[in-house]
Amino acid sequence: MIRAPLSTTSVLDESSDVVALAAAPWASALILTSIPYRFLQVLFLQRLIEAGKNATHYGNVLGTTANLTILAFLVSLIGRAIYARACRLAAATGKTPGRETWRVPLASFASYLFIASIAELLFFLGMTTIIGPIVAIIVAGLAVGTMELNERAGIVAPLKLIARYGREARIVLALALVFAIALFIAAVSLYATFTAGLWMASAFTSFDVARWSILLTIWNRQFVFLVIAGAIIAIEPFWIAANVMLVRKAGAEESGEELRLWFRELEEP
Amino acid sequence: MAIPTIQPCAHHSERRAFALCMTCRKSLCQECVTQWDGIYHCASCLAARRSSAAGTSGAAAWLLVIGATGVLLYLSARAMVWAGALLASLF
Repeated sequence: MIRAPLSTTSVLDESSDVVALAAAPWASALILTSIPYRFLQVLFLQRLIEAGKNATHYGNVLGTTANLTILAFLVSLIGRAIYARACRLAAATGKTPGRETWRVPLASFASYLFIASIAELLFFLGMTTIIGPIVAIIVAGLAVGTMELNERAGIVAPLKLIARYGREARIVLALALVFAIALFIAAVSLYATFTAGLWMASAFTSFDVARWSILLTIWNRQFVFLVIAGAIIAIEPFWIAANVMLVRKAGAEESGEELRLWFRELEEP
Repeated sequence: MAIPTIQPCAHHSERRAFALCMTCRKSLCQECVTQWDGIYHCASCLAARRSSAAGTSGAAAWLLVIGATGVLLYLSARAMVWAGALLASLF
């Protein structure tokens, strides 16, 4: 399934094919494990905003929510690892992956946990800067893309892999930009869906929408956070597939498999 | 994009390279390369991986990864509160 030379468009093009093959049923594992994490992030933000300038006085409440969020983050990594394996198998075989998707190598998963934890820490430490979260998101994407290249547990080898594939900086940054735009579009679409649903409920049924119209509005901060969380969940399968394809295509270009497959395709009548 | 040049196999100079070993980066012909779980390896790197996987150093590496991940996750939770409180005090 490697058809074109490594570029942003070819990665996006081929990752959409991979998502079409792997999404049912494997995206459900990703979404189900992501929901608690995203909801807890929203809860943390909500509590933080409620505390406002007195946030430092609410260390216990915020700390407990942060601990739960990190626990949910760990669970979400399991879903990401399963889905990334599904994408890799789909790309390798051109078919919807079967039960073998569950068999994520333990060493690969441990290495992925390690790098994903670094990315998470980077994200929070760099939150007051613009570049910090971007770097963290890119590292998290490359971590899931390179996960299965780690055959042994270790802390140096996974970092070397991130550095190796991070050299495709132009494509990595372009992908981040594309998905930032996709996130915005997904959030707007999700908001529009809720608004349309509310409108139809009021137009065609006797459903009392007065209360819901106050809740499902852009002025309700909690609803806006939930819409953003929903948009992240919606684009996550594509983001993971794009990173898996980026690593696969970059690896194939290095190994020569890309040229071999290309010549084979040219030879076919 | 750089034009790829055809390289000979590291072990058989008369043969064209078919793939790169993803560990030692040697160019290898079809006979010298083994694809394992989608990744190309040369025979010596594959043997090294097999012997090291059976060795006792694996346990230490596992402990190191688990310990480091635990510390990082603990720090992430603390950094989450710290960064959140910092941002909340700014706005």
